[in-house]
Amino acid sequence: MPAIVHRHWTTVLARGALFSLLWLILAGTDPWSWLIGLPSVALATHASLALSPPRRRRPRVLALLAFIPYFVAQSLRGGFDVALRVLAPRPRIAPGFIDYHSRLTDPAARVLFLDTVSLLPGTLGADMHGQRLRVHAIDTGVDVRPELIALEQRVAALFAREGHG
Amino acid sequence: MTAAFLFSAITLPLGCLFFAAGSIGLLRLPDLFTRLHALTKADNLGLGLLICGLLPWVESPWQGLKLVLIWLLVLLAGATGAHLVAKRALRGDGEDLQ
Repeated sequence: MPAIVHRHWTTVLARGALFSLLWLILAGTDPWSWLIGLPSVALATHASLALSPPRRRRPRVLALLAFIPYFVAQSLRGGFDVALRVLAPRPRIAPGFIDYHSRLTDPAARVLFLDTVSLLPGTLGADMHGQRLRVHAIDTGVDVRPELIALEQRVAALFAREGHG
Repeated sequence: MTAAFLFSAITLPLGCLFFAAGSIGLLRLPDLFTRLHALTKADNLGLGLLICGLLPWVESPWQGLKLVLIWLLVLLAGATGAHLVAKRALRGDGEDLQ
């Protein structure tokens, strides 16, 4: 199946280039650093392919560029929110758990969702069984579901398959 | 006083303030889960602000990229660590909880 072999090699090259860039950032521009850098990049690429095999997925550059400002804004809101809560004369908290059924099916998308939930104001991604997420809320008086749904839609846009948007 | 200096004069102390808020949260909040809230969110923002404040003063673009990479790695480690600690505590299968 030549098409799949072709895809495989473009994945290898793309990941190799990414790890080379990381090495360049870490080690600087001294050419001798590649004595260690080249084997490291080769091993990292091998490990990456073993842990996350190439899939039929188109890189969603525009979706990623749209995700970054949202991510930064949520980090700011989340940080301010929790700082104000703990600095109040009596910490303003009413903690509790919320169960959320996620519509994300891609495992990588679910992990990204769970990790970024922890950066939204007031929520912490605690546990995950398949599509059932257990979220810890620092203030159960605030309805966080609309925010979870908004985040889920953005993560879904990042991981949309070919032909689905 | 240049714009870069002014920018760093705001972001660096603000970043330190968020680190302090994270640590105060660790001391004042009552349980493991609420403490994780304070640590992940306040420290992520604190480090982000510190790195933004340092970016105008790097000697080369590579150094700037390295700072951004450090922030991304800490972000990833922080979110993943918080999730794993919360999961172990929820399922009650951590060694220290038996």
